[in-house]
Amino acid sequence: MTRVDVDRLQRDLEAIIGPRRVSMRAVDLDAYSRDMWPRALLAYREGEYDGPRPHAVVWPEHVREVVSIVKLARERKIPIVPYGGGSGVCGGAVPLRGGITIDTKRMQALRSVHSDELICDVEAGLNGERFERELERRGYTFGHFPSSIYCSTVGGWLACRAAGQLSTKYGKVEDRVAGLSVVTGRGELIETDGPNRALRGPSWNQLIVGSEGTLGVITSARLRVSPAPQLRVFRGFEVDDVAHGVEAIRRVLQKGLRPAVVRLYDELDTLINSFGHHEDGPAKEVRGPVPPIATGALPAWPEPEPEKDDGVVSRLLDFARGKGTRATAMNAALGRSSIVNKVFGTVAEKIARRGCRLIIGLEGARIRTEVEAALTFHELATLGARDKGEDPGWSWLKHRYHVSYRMSPMFRDGAFVDTMEVASSWERLMDLYHSVRTAIGRHALVMAHFSHAYPDGCSIYFTFAGTAPDHPAAERLYDAIWRDGMEATTRVGATISHHHGVGLLKAPYMAGEHREAMAIFEAAKQALDPDGIFNPGKMGLVERTR
Amino acid sequence: MSLVRELVAAIGSEHVEELDEGNWRVAPGSSAEVAEVIRRAGAHKAAVHPVGAGGRPQRGKGERARVFISTKRLDQVLQLDEMSLLVHAEAGLTGLELERILAPRNLSIGDYPPVVLTSSLGGLIAVRTPGKSSARHGFFEEAVVGVSAVLADGRTVHTRVAPRRATGPDLARVLCGSEGTIGFITSAVLRIHQKPEARLVASYILPSLDTAVSAVLLSLREEAAPSGLRIYDAAEAAKHFAGFSIPPGQALLCAATAGPTDLAACDRDLITSAVLAEGGRTGDLALAELWWRRLHAGEPTPGPSPSLQVMATPSKLRGVYHAVTEHVAAGGGSARAHISRFDADGAVAFFTIDGSDELVASAEVAAAGAGGWLLGARATKLDSYLDALRATIDPDRIMNPGTLA
Repeated sequence: MTRVDVDRLQRDLEAIIGPRRVSMRAVDLDAYSRDMWPRALLAYREGEYDGPRPHAVVWPEHVREVVSIVKLARERKIPIVPYGGGSGVCGGAVPLRGGITIDTKRMQALRSVHSDELICDVEAGLNGERFERELERRGYTFGHFPSSIYCSTVGGWLACRAAGQLSTKYGKVEDRVAGLSVVTGRGELIETDGPNRALRGPSWNQLIVGSEGTLGVITSARLRVSPAPQLRVFRGFEVDDVAHGVEAIRRVLQKGLRPAVVRLYDELDTLINSFGHHEDGPAKEVRGPVPPIATGALPAWPEPEPEKDDGVVSRLLDFARGKGTRATAMNAALGRSSIVNKVFGTVAEKIARRGCRLIIGLEGARIRTEVEAALTFHELATLGARDKGEDPGWSWLKHRYHVSYRMSPMFRDGAFVDTMEVASSWERLMDLYHSVRTAIGRHALVMAHFSHAYPDGCSIYFTFAGTAPDHPAAERLYDAIWRDGMEATTRVGATISHHHGVGLLKAPYMAGEHREAMAIFEAAKQALDPDGIFNPGKMGLVERTR
Repeated sequence: MSLVRELVAAIGSEHVEELDEGNWRVAPGSSAEVAEVIRRAGAHKAAVHPVGAGGRPQRGKGERARVFISTKRLDQVLQLDEMSLLVHAEAGLTGLELERILAPRNLSIGDYPPVVLTSSLGGLIAVRTPGKSSARHGFFEEAVVGVSAVLADGRTVHTRVAPRRATGPDLARVLCGSEGTIGFITSAVLRIHQKPEARLVASYILPSLDTAVSAVLLSLREEAAPSGLRIYDAAEAAKHFAGFSIPPGQALLCAATAGPTDLAACDRDLITSAVLAEGGRTGDLALAELWWRRLHAGEPTPGPSPSLQVMATPSKLRGVYHAVTEHVAAGGGSARAHISRFDADGAVAFFTIDGSDELVASAEVAAAGAGGWLLGARATKLDSYLDALRATIDPDRIMNPGTLA
């Protein structure tokens, strides 16, 4: 923890942005001591969270205030942690050495949308849902729909290279960046704008995006937008097994077709999803050539459906509930995860005989979307996928944000749940699937779906749930899952993160991910943050000042 | 040991050539040999300059010894992953050579302008210039999935290959465009494509260059992804196509689409609709076929090389065209132009100017004044950060000194 004269710090910060936007109150310091990293939630549940807290939290409204704060921090060698919505799941916003946490949420203007260039200028603290709604009102979409969209910010997306559910069409957030405004560790505002494809020199956008607040704080961005979709087409398919499904997706994408969303659920995930109501009635209200605001790709708050949501976690609870009291049954099941994985796999493959669920959705300009949809569905049929009609697709669209808000019951009942999103080329994808599933399956119940597909590869999203007799044992189990999962990922030549980022969680595995190339990241850190004040202790970077 | 003896020891005398005093050209045959050359050059604080296809080493005595590393022997395809449509190729292979290797397998590097692909892959990746892109396959740099490079201390880095990742900055994209100042690129993993099932071409006549630009932008907004687009003003069209003429002020648009047959036809129809909406009409198919043959079958294009290349974003394209043509006309000369290489950032306007060198130079100023970006433009405002990055990773400044400085 950095030694800080807190009284002096408070006076100086208040001199920059006034007393109302500086806090050193315990309740604020507690709130900003963590993000949504499940490992921290384990401790929080037990009332044992003793993580580092910032010395101060500030809410600047203008970039000049950010510059002044960073200059002050640099002069005093005080760490800075940029903070968006706090929805990160890797501990990236934990103020490991204390210091000043800069919450960007009061910088939240959508300044302009340039219709000729299809570029908008947006401040970093704007909430994702509000950003998308504001664009929709003007006839555009950013095409970025992470499940955290209600509680994450544009700056947070950029900082961790986020992905939305429609990434196969729109790309990840890094694919949509035209320029950034960043206050670096030197206390200078830099702007990376210009036609990226014309200007000589390294790509500053691609250097800063994904740096998770270790090089500076992003204060605004110029992002590429698309015209709002005129047509949206969603369907569900079934394939014999994961391998057939993966092959079908690969063939579709390599023909040059670009669905907006592709999701293939493995046998267990398909089985657990089938307990729910994906097919218990069409979600007809979401149909229509121009989707209504509340139910289209724009998010709507999950409806209260305590007994019948389609979230994976709730299905686990439903499953457990049938075998006794919920907590007892769940803990009994999760405590024998390797057996349960095997049993589930057998059940999924031999009893259900349903194969694997595949959701495909397309959206965009009317004529081209119609043609692409016809070609996509024809290709899938040629490859043996069985068309289950529109309802599974629309149902997925309607309920797609639910799962992220259904984790509390799991933690409340003494278990934990987390997700591991890895990615590889198609050639290595099935190796990756089996390796990681085996590695995690030794410790926890594990299921997976394949999403975020590209012509050259795909991401796999593993969901795992486990339990342990007490908090220390739970942490040991949690750490073992991640250690084994990450090592299995690196061994097959895949990447350890597709879109959640690194933070504290994956920092120990960065050396294996990048090997000697970390030297370039280290050099960038030295260039942009020479005193090492930005988010120290993260991403496997060497700490130069403590 | 002298530097030259060390270089000979590293890669053999047949691959070391003394250009003049203090300047050597070497041609290592592998990434390991590149690393050895750079390590030994670094020990002597000699400068290391990459030389790709068509590149020429500078001669003359400099302040320190210089080693020009040619990539000509780094010409192998290291791996072809047909399942993932990825190719790992060495830096000395030209884009066209790679295209010839891929063609028998029904694969292609992508719909990039063939003239761009005459460069070595190392040069294509290391030096960013406008126009290395297509509306169908995007910017060439975006096809780079992984890069292997040698740093100033002789370490070889291999960035991790993945379709996308969230593990910090994209280190491969940091090496792209860095012109050998951060690392010497020895190979790259590139996305490739299946050859399209169909390829269609069409030509259109529009009332003006402005309406032609509007039609193209409208079709792109409707999500057409053509493999080639070119707009000619009337003077340029007359020069390029013997016997063809349209009234001054009008414009010729040539377009090519590709992909599954229905999709290629859809894209062509989207362009046609946009042209009709802008008051245009369909033109002679033979013109479009000739345009495409010239681009891709090596048939010669008439006339001198353009005098001025200007990249402009969609909203600035028309203004740049008018600023240059009107400026040249006011100066007593004449200018004609075509616009091509459309992508999300805009397009490139190629002007051929009949007039004095001074008039061409002042036309550049006019283009920049209208919001265009000249070939070779650089974001100098971030130079101090690039300097600091280089100082850390290359403290003796051996890697291509004088470049991007």
